[in-house]
Amino acid sequence: MTAQVGSKSCVTMALVSADTKISELLTELHQLIKQTQEERSRSEHNLLNIQKTHERMQTENKTSPYYRTKLRGLYTTAKADAEAECSILRHALDKIAEIKSLLEERRIAAKMAGVYSDSDPPRKTMRRGVLMTLLQQSAMTLPLWIGKPGDSPPPLCGAMPASSDYVAKPGDKVAARVKAVDGDEQWILAEVVSYSHSTNKYEVDDIDEEGKERHTLSRRRIIPLPQWKANPETDPEALFSKDQLVLALYPQTTCFYRALIHTPPHRPQDDYSVLFEDTSYADGYSPPLNVAQRYVVACKENKKK
Amino acid sequence: MSELDCPALKYYDFKPVEHGRVCPRYTAVLGRSDDDGIGIEELDTLQLELETLLSSASRRLRALEEQRQILTDWQDKKVDKRFLKPGKEADLSATPRHSKPKKQKLDGKEYEFNEDPQDMPRNPKNDAPNRFWASVEPYCADITNEEIKVLEELLKPPEDEAEYYKVPALGKHYSQRWAQEDLLEEQRDGARANDKKKGIMGPLSELDAKDVDALLKKSESQHDPPEDGCPFGPLTQRLLQALVEENIISPMEDSPIPDVPGKDSANDGASTSPRSQGKAFSVPHTRSLEARIKEELVSQGLLDTEDRPGTGGDSEDEVLAELHKRQAELKALSAHNRARKQELLRLAKEETRKQELRQRVRVSDNEVMEAFRRIMAARQKKRTPTKKEKDQAWKALKERDSILKLLDG
Repeated sequence: MTAQVGSKSCVTMALVSADTKISELLTELHQLIKQTQEERSRSEHNLLNIQKTHERMQTENKTSPYYRTKLRGLYTTAKADAEAECSILRHALDKIAEIKSLLEERRIAAKMAGVYSDSDPPRKTMRRGVLMTLLQQSAMTLPLWIGKPGDSPPPLCGAMPASSDYVAKPGDKVAARVKAVDGDEQWILAEVVSYSHSTNKYEVDDIDEEGKERHTLSRRRIIPLPQWKANPETDPEALFSKDQLVLALYPQTTCFYRALIHTPPHRPQDDYSVLFEDTSYADGYSPPLNVAQRYVVACKENKKK
Repeated sequence: MSELDCPALKYYDFKPVEHGRVCPRYTAVLGRSDDDGIGIEELDTLQLELETLLSSASRRLRALEEQRQILTDWQDKKVDKRFLKPGKEADLSATPRHSKPKKQKLDGKEYEFNEDPQDMPRNPKNDAPNRFWASVEPYCADITNEEIKVLEELLKPPEDEAEYYKVPALGKHYSQRWAQEDLLEEQRDGARANDKKKGIMGPLSELDAKDVDALLKKSESQHDPPEDGCPFGPLTQRLLQALVEENIISPMEDSPIPDVPGKDSANDGASTSPRSQGKAFSVPHTRSLEARIKEELVSQGLLDTEDRPGTGGDSEDEVLAELHKRQAELKALSAHNRARKQELLRLAKEETRKQELRQRVRVSDNEVMEAFRRIMAARQKKRTPTKKEKDQAWKALKERDSILKLLDG
């Protein structure tokens, strides 16, 4: 496996050393996953016990002090197990994030150097369908934010806005408001190239026509995309609610349009169902369309209009 | 029996995720040996599956904590288990935090925002309503005595009012004044020049203002008579002209011709007066003559009285006319202002009277409420209110009514 990864891109020494690091991390990840399963099997027994106790208590239809004490003991143990399991799962997910960020760094470095590795073919030749798949893929693998009990979702998790002084990093995807050739303003999906603190302006690349169109935009025209998915099961408050006005990426395009939330997601991997503002429909809205959490951002304009 | 049952206990199904079914990639990776490892292309799927596992584990953790707390609370105090729930939520956050130092790493990423979530500009403080009400306040506030005093002060006519209606006396005509000034200036210049040239000549050059006046008068007296050549006043001349026949001039031309009879005597008289006697001719009482003629003409009704030409003279004075116009304007404006101020004062006084009444209404409202409370208290104690209380209540009510009537009237 290591050899395979290495052979894929040995363009520069830096990339090679990054590859070694990545393969190390992958091994660590493997270990973590194994530990996870050990942890899970350990707690399984206890959970089974709880289930049995529950059943017995329910058939007796009363709660004797004995059962109460027993159940409390079981719960405490199960809780400790669950904590350990969560901890190791987080650890594993962190590892994945680490590997991914390394891969991303490598991609940016390669792009800067004008070198493209086999695993990351030059974008210029990318066909539209491929781009769409890629966008969908990146939306799907946007990490899910799972807080510990009592933690509230951080900024850029789901619908939570970024803090006012937040600066998107190079490579981050953003919604950018640009002037099209015909003078109309449009929100496009873009990737940050750089940010100048002196002028407060971003340089961004249109994701669709990378390299061809580079825009310099003030930070007001940039909305960073969420960096975590919000978990509807644990943090529904971090999701946009029904009928809220948002900007959402229209399916199979790279442009954001105004839309109303039709239904928020119910499970972590679910998408939003949104109604786009569309005058070609009788009621002014498109039928419900699915858009991933990653590509739904708050619409700033609603105050003005 | 039911008291023993714990209604809040939900008997959650804590069954773990069947990873074999839900997480195929995870299961596959588990089966691999260390040498096989994990491929980069598997990361995305693995991430999703691990997230599923974590989500389920966290949910289980929360549920367990909740149920365990319920059991604990229930054991500690068997009453009011349910009401304890809200308080318990807060505790929940405290306990598991210590047990997981490993999460630090992920926290690192979001570190900068987690520090102060309050700083998020979600709801900027809006004080616009307060500012608005503050700006409106002066227009709705009660009128104070001070404000009335200010109004009364404004009503007093200003001390310098008369100043604006004065018509200053007509001064010297500007041409005379300028002539005098010019002359003085020239003399001064001349004196200076002389001073420089000959110090001895000093006394001669020192002509003062009196000399200037004298000089001017002299020049005037020299100039005036030749213009006219006649010492008589304008009326005298006019009268004479009216009396003398028009064709007098032509005979004068042929005066050497003596054969015009009947006219000779007149001719002679006329020819002698202006011409032959010329400048040597001086009449002593021209001024009084002029005055008498005027008097006579006026009494005969041939001439209008003096004031007519007087007003006529005024109308010719543009400055004076303008001054009169402006003064009239000022008079009208200040009269209007005064009327407004008086009206304002009247309204203000009326309003203060109403304010007093309203104040009294408020007081009596309180009294009525007080009486009401007393009667209600009595009723609660299941005793009929005493006569005193009833009287008080009636009195308060009546007083309030009377004030309200006053206010409406």
